[in-house]
Amino acid sequence: MIFIEAGSRSLRSFDAQLIFAEQLAARGFPVCIDAEYLPEDAGRGRVYEAARFLVDPAEHEAEAIFVLGAEDIDDLLLASLREKQIGPDVPVIATGRFQTQQSYIGAKARLAYALGREATVIDLTDFQPRSVLPSAVSPLVAEIQPTPRPAREMPTVTVVLGSMELDNPETLSCFSRMSNRGGYNLRLVVSGAQNEAINASPFHDLPTNLYTDLSSLTLAKSTDILVMFGHGIAGVRIAAFAVELIAAGGVAIDCTDDEALVSSGAPVLLGPKTPFSLDGYLTGKILGNTSQIAEQARKSQWLHSVDISRLESAAGLTPKTREPVRSTHRTLFFPTNGVGLGHAQRSAVIANALPDDMSSIFAAFPSCVPLVRREGIDCIPLVSRIDMTDNPDGNDILTYRRLGAALQENDSLVFDGGHVFDSVYRVILERNLSAVWVRRGLWPDGRPRQKMLRREGVFDRVIVPSEAFEELNDAYSYGDHVHYVGPIFRKVVQSKDERDGLRARLAERFGREFKQLVVSMLGGGVASDRSAQLQAISGMLEDRTDCLHLVVTWPGSKVQPATFGWTNTRVVQTFEATSLCLAADLVISAAGYNSVLEILYHKIPAILIPQSAPYLDNQERRARALADRDLCAIITENDLMKLEQTVSACLDHDEVELYRSALNAIELPEAGASRAAEIIAEVRYEK
Amino acid sequence: MPVFDALSCPSRPKIAYIIEPRFSGGTSAAVAAELRVAVEFGELEVHAVTSRTFGEDQYIAPVLRRVLDELRIPLIWDAPRVGADFVILHNPAFLKFQDVLNTRIFARDLIVVTHENFLRPGGEEGFDVSSCLNQIEASALSLRKSLAPISPYNRKTVTDWLAGSRVARQWEVLGADWFNICETEIEAPCDMPSDRRGRHSRPGFEKFPALADLDRCFPEHAQSNVILGADALLDARVLRPHWTLLPFNAIRVDEFFEMIDFFVYFTAPTWQESFGRVIAEALAAGKVVLTNADIGVTFGDAVLSCRPPDVDGIISDLIAQPHRYHEQVSRSQSALARYSAENFRAQLSNVLSADSGVSG
Repeated sequence: MIFIEAGSRSLRSFDAQLIFAEQLAARGFPVCIDAEYLPEDAGRGRVYEAARFLVDPAEHEAEAIFVLGAEDIDDLLLASLREKQIGPDVPVIATGRFQTQQSYIGAKARLAYALGREATVIDLTDFQPRSVLPSAVSPLVAEIQPTPRPAREMPTVTVVLGSMELDNPETLSCFSRMSNRGGYNLRLVVSGAQNEAINASPFHDLPTNLYTDLSSLTLAKSTDILVMFGHGIAGVRIAAFAVELIAAGGVAIDCTDDEALVSSGAPVLLGPKTPFSLDGYLTGKILGNTSQIAEQARKSQWLHSVDISRLESAAGLTPKTREPVRSTHRTLFFPTNGVGLGHAQRSAVIANALPDDMSSIFAAFPSCVPLVRREGIDCIPLVSRIDMTDNPDGNDILTYRRLGAALQENDSLVFDGGHVFDSVYRVILERNLSAVWVRRGLWPDGRPRQKMLRREGVFDRVIVPSEAFEELNDAYSYGDHVHYVGPIFRKVVQSKDERDGLRARLAERFGREFKQLVVSMLGGGVASDRSAQLQAISGMLEDRTDCLHLVVTWPGSKVQPATFGWTNTRVVQTFEATSLCLAADLVISAAGYNSVLEILYHKIPAILIPQSAPYLDNQERRARALADRDLCAIITENDLMKLEQTVSACLDHDEVELYRSALNAIELPEAGASRAAEIIAEVRYEK
Repeated sequence: MPVFDALSCPSRPKIAYIIEPRFSGGTSAAVAAELRVAVEFGELEVHAVTSRTFGEDQYIAPVLRRVLDELRIPLIWDAPRVGADFVILHNPAFLKFQDVLNTRIFARDLIVVTHENFLRPGGEEGFDVSSCLNQIEASALSLRKSLAPISPYNRKTVTDWLAGSRVARQWEVLGADWFNICETEIEAPCDMPSDRRGRHSRPGFEKFPALADLDRCFPEHAQSNVILGADALLDARVLRPHWTLLPFNAIRVDEFFEMIDFFVYFTAPTWQESFGRVIAEALAAGKVVLTNADIGVTFGDAVLSCRPPDVDGIISDLIAQPHRYHEQVSRSQSALARYSAENFRAQLSNVLSADSGVSG
């Protein structure tokens, strides 16, 4: 393992460690950082970035050690080096920008005292006489790409605002126009204050990244043209981004007041000092000429001064051949876990519709794993979020690590969920994945749509599984990448004999004969507590001696103990809820996407009790659409008192037959799983 | 007083010391002891320089302050000019963090006492020697400029450095070592030594060997292991149940010596004591000193030169044969006479009376 150490501990030096660690890792070296270096105020982005590198040093043997920022060495570093008891053959390379010969000698001596032997100390002021950022702890090196970078059909232009003030409203308006024009994708890299200003403006839909949202390497990989504004270079991460991009054959345009990039001798273009002229400059001079510009840049001697292989050679490291672990393409489905298992079930339906030559795998939270595996699909278990005030992102960081380990360059990721987690966003960009977002609609009123859609741009396709009725299909975003497909749900076929057989088995299993079977499926437990409603239903069915009431939940769901106290009511935890519903005389259900579609397409008479938690879809609208067509009864929060009357109407007065006949008569759209699978299949070879 | 007035009275020469009085360790102690002797030879001035090494304050090491008070010599801070027959500048390394020495020096003889080794073991520079010597060279007008090494090992680093340097022709190297005066009270050894080991030093990483060697020197089976100056070990939580770790200055040095019979002293292999005042103190306290061969060059058979793996064997032999322990202490303490004030007086006399090389 190669340890990346820092002369002293700070956010600045931690950034340097992260940048260099990621670069070496990308070159095929096993790299780590002692977890003790993680600063308390690292912030969310850095923690994700660091997660793959942080280790307990006692668990790894050092193959080589790099010390960054050797111009400022503190006792913590020396103690850590001494404690590692590094073998005599392990190279120790220290880099620093030494202002005086004494600071060089002093650093060398201090390292030697801790190591008991001499380290190789590289003075970056010799190595890089005109550094992009002379104050950087990072060595600011990069892998020089031997071949030109292939031009993308739609290049991404990343604009770093730097110290630019956003007090002129025309500035954001200008960026907004650029963002909406064809020819290139625009992305802004902004500070926290700039981000707040953008969010508070009418241009809050501008695609932005904070400085620590993505690593320098990922920014460079996903950028074709970098434009830098402001005064000077906005920190080491941006300096490293620029160096990475130039070394990778991208185009860098220096629009800073002080020509900060140009003055370092880097092969960059001098651009307009104001964003108002940028679009014209890009379209008139840059787009269409990027290959020639990059070719000229590749001839620059400056590249030699940032060549990472010089540092590797000093450590005796030879880059490993970076062969992919797998030679076959993989499609990974990641369903989020909402209230129930709807996302996982929908994803499994799509996965089963994929062409035979596509290999799919799931990564899913524990509650979903059995559901996926019983479909015969392999599944990587993830860790559910738990309430930890000190690290609310902990489980998503684990998800990020597991997704990162399961996927390699150009694989496909299919994410089914509402909120695009950091793990998903990052792994798509880092692995250059073909990405598909399965995004069910019918968002509740008041949900901040812009926030939900902020990361849509990272997906190659958005698949919107439709609702059954047109008035429920709201559009949230537009473009060729958004595909509306028919409703996606699990189809179950049950013959009359099978239905009778199931009812007979239920009677035997629960030791009582029944004429009427009622199934209640009010959803899991996290969204809203439905125990009062279940108790009410159980109570009103308790006196019906010819009735069996099943409370059906997903395996693993929490069930209130009181539910078990009824004679006529039994709790069933099963993945086969649809079969039970098909066997039932009446279903009382929440109005989630899957439940409603299954009720509709299987023509099951039902009373819908929509849930209304703020982060759920708008179940009431969905239920109302069915009720308006006399396809079901509806009981909303405001008229729960009507529940008993409605149940009675269904069970005692043949109201279910009214629904059944309406259900049989209604024309429904064609199911969309096959089309969704086709879209996922199309996208896999695009990268 | 005009500068050259001071250069005209050979019977009572003017001697000026230039020091950085904020050194906390051996340099200040050595200068303090030396001033008591030098005052006998002429009119003494002591000049303090505020170097960047220690910042802006005008702190004075207590050992120096005591002597200056005792001798009633005022400490002159940052004089723009120093003129004397003999200017003795102690420890040029204090100039390592700056570019210019702002004090002009006018002297018949300029002697620079090299308290710090010019080279580290292995040959790497100990500090930016060229810069320090060049600053002195640029500020000084003198008939002769000499470097005065303080020990055989220190001498070797000075001469080796000069051999590879272009400034060598500017500097002579004095023939005799400008040793540290060690006049600590001599204590008798204990009657029956036991396996009570210890070491004392400032807490810097250079003063400590690798952890594996430290474990060898201070093992579990020893009766006690006392490490004074263990700040870095404490900070890094390098703890052993059989070690008593004490921060620097946690107890008095004489209290520390009462806790041990064997002074076991190894440093990082990439660093070497230039004199080893701490060794002399241990010898004076009646302890047997085990240390590496390079320290042995300074103190000869007063110390037992060995390697960490040899420590256990040597200690168990001496515990088994207390008479050999006593013989060793006796031999050590007689060797300390070499570093007496009397010997230094004789040496200083030779230096001050040496021909300037300029005919009258």
